[in-house]
Amino acid sequence: MSYKDPIIHIDEQLCTGCRRCAAVCPVDAIIGEPGHPQTIDAHRCVVCGQCVQICTAYAADNESTTALRAVKLQERGQLPNVREPLFAAYSSGDIQKVKAVLADPKRFKVVQCAPAIRVSLAEEFGLPFGTLTPGKMAAALRRLKFDRIYDTNFAADVTIMEEGSELIGRVMSGERLPMFTSCCPAWVKHAETVAPELLEHLSSCKSPMQMAGALFKTYGAELDGIAPSDIFSVAVMPCTCKKFECSREEMSVNGCREVDVVITTRELASLIKDQGIDFIHLPDEPFDSPLGKYSGAGSIFGVTGGVMEAAIRTGYELITHEQIPNLQLDFVRGEEGIRTAEVQIGELELKVAVVAGLKYVDAVLAKVAEGTCPYHFIEVMACPEGCVSGGGQPKLLLETQRKIAYQARKSAVYRHDSHQKVRKSHENPDIIKLYKDFLGEPLGHTSHHLLHTKFVDRSLKEEMS
Amino acid sequence: MNNVQPSPFVIAEAGKCIGCKACELACFAVHNDHNGVVAAVGTVTVPVIPRLHVIRTESFTLPVQCRQCENAPCAEACPVQAIRREEGTIVIHEESCIGCKGCAMACPFGAISLYKAYSNGKVVPQIQLKERQHSAMVRSAKVIAYKCDLCRTRDHKDGAMGNVPACVEVCPVEALSLVHPDTSVSRSRTAAAMRL
Repeated sequence: MSYKDPIIHIDEQLCTGCRRCAAVCPVDAIIGEPGHPQTIDAHRCVVCGQCVQICTAYAADNESTTALRAVKLQERGQLPNVREPLFAAYSSGDIQKVKAVLADPKRFKVVQCAPAIRVSLAEEFGLPFGTLTPGKMAAALRRLKFDRIYDTNFAADVTIMEEGSELIGRVMSGERLPMFTSCCPAWVKHAETVAPELLEHLSSCKSPMQMAGALFKTYGAELDGIAPSDIFSVAVMPCTCKKFECSREEMSVNGCREVDVVITTRELASLIKDQGIDFIHLPDEPFDSPLGKYSGAGSIFGVTGGVMEAAIRTGYELITHEQIPNLQLDFVRGEEGIRTAEVQIGELELKVAVVAGLKYVDAVLAKVAEGTCPYHFIEVMACPEGCVSGGGQPKLLLETQRKIAYQARKSAVYRHDSHQKVRKSHENPDIIKLYKDFLGEPLGHTSHHLLHTKFVDRSLKEEMS
Repeated sequence: MNNVQPSPFVIAEAGKCIGCKACELACFAVHNDHNGVVAAVGTVTVPVIPRLHVIRTESFTLPVQCRQCENAPCAEACPVQAIRREEGTIVIHEESCIGCKGCAMACPFGAISLYKAYSNGKVVPQIQLKERQHSAMVRSAKVIAYKCDLCRTRDHKDGAMGNVPACVEVCPVEALSLVHPDTSVSRSRTAAAMRL
């Protein structure tokens, strides 16, 4: 699938020019005069979808606009029976394609869900903020006729193995520091656009979503005895930029796309409703093994600071060969735009920073460029509270509930972690088996081929001059 | 004593309003528990029916809503006494409304609109009245009058700030406010006296 489509759009027939989207955009990509329809600068846009979340300009629904509504739903890639109002800012939908493939018995359909889906999907069915539904989500996906219900959280554990090993290597050699996380595609696109000269500071790891896709069409295909080309790989993401990421040219493995289609939390909910599945009364069902078994560390990727916390849990033990004294690392939890900490790991005093919200990152990039950035490791998430606040998450009717909603989703992520038997990526038995049977070792030859990537200079000439 | 305690009402400043329609959406959200509308947009299965309306002209945008008139011309026009004053608010009893449009015509602000009635996410049908649709006779939708009730039945549990109506609470530019005429009048009276 190729995205010539810029993914984030503003419908000029519906936009009232209030410019709340421009106020929330972290990269000043929304252009226009107050009172007039706005446009998006696709080059600057990082596809984070925060404008989609904040937009309140909706199409009034009356008899004369019924036909227009059907046209707009089709244009937006939504299912025709969607009942919710149409807003001016929206993201391109891919649910029609997923629905068509699910009806095709000849395809082997594999799905993965990001950590932040299970803490928010229930909101689409009227359940309270922070209702945790991994089991119902797996059951719903099974009823939608996916052949394998796998999980991005498993690949988040793989990411920790790879990225943690990469960080240790860089810290030991003192090269290319600070190292930035590369899980968030909006952050990666922003770095490629405004700071291409600093791209060597990004971890070479693909995001967990792409790692999962690569493993489904290699390791997973082998386990199931299926040709990789017969696998249709769907990812359910809280993020609109994941649609952009999966279409990146380099995100393929042995000639197959790693992830064929990305749908958002909202799109999954609309498909569940479309198929008449009674989500609220579904039983809890398990994910499939082995690519659906995850640790608590994998599940906290959905919140700001989560990747950092997961990495420290593993990094500490890999470096010191001792148990980390406390699994709950409160110093990286929080909601400030930038949080910093020093972590004593054996002899090493690891300096870390967590950036939540892309508007805070340019100051950090400037320090890296001038060589005065003191940190070893920096996590960057484009959205204000990490993936729980992503552009593809359930959209709120009342702005006044945003804070409560994000807090509850975050608490649910941490609650999910605290209830897992295994809470460190390197102790996940299926991760140990994956490395033993298939990958060999972190940063090894197979890992390098499947799980690591290169970045692209996206700067415009005039911006470079 | 012959003076009255005038009813509070919501009013907007045209100079501040940016036309985002957040007030319309919030108004709809807090009046549709009975239609299954909760926090997420995805729970909406009925058309958005607001009780205030953002109007647009060449030079400004402005939400227009009920002034809770002391002499309530809407109530005077209602032939079935579906409009009453309750705790200082002019309220339409929707179950009694016959959709005659008298109130909408009588209102000097255009603050009353007629829409279909919904319950449990479905259109409420007429008991008897039918109309021809695709060569079959079907029961028409019940139509009723809607207007601002100052969110009087709203559940203020979730992050709501006291008893302020939802539109006032969500406005990102504070263009809307709940006016208490008695205190406002005495304040302006005092201010004028100070200037003398």
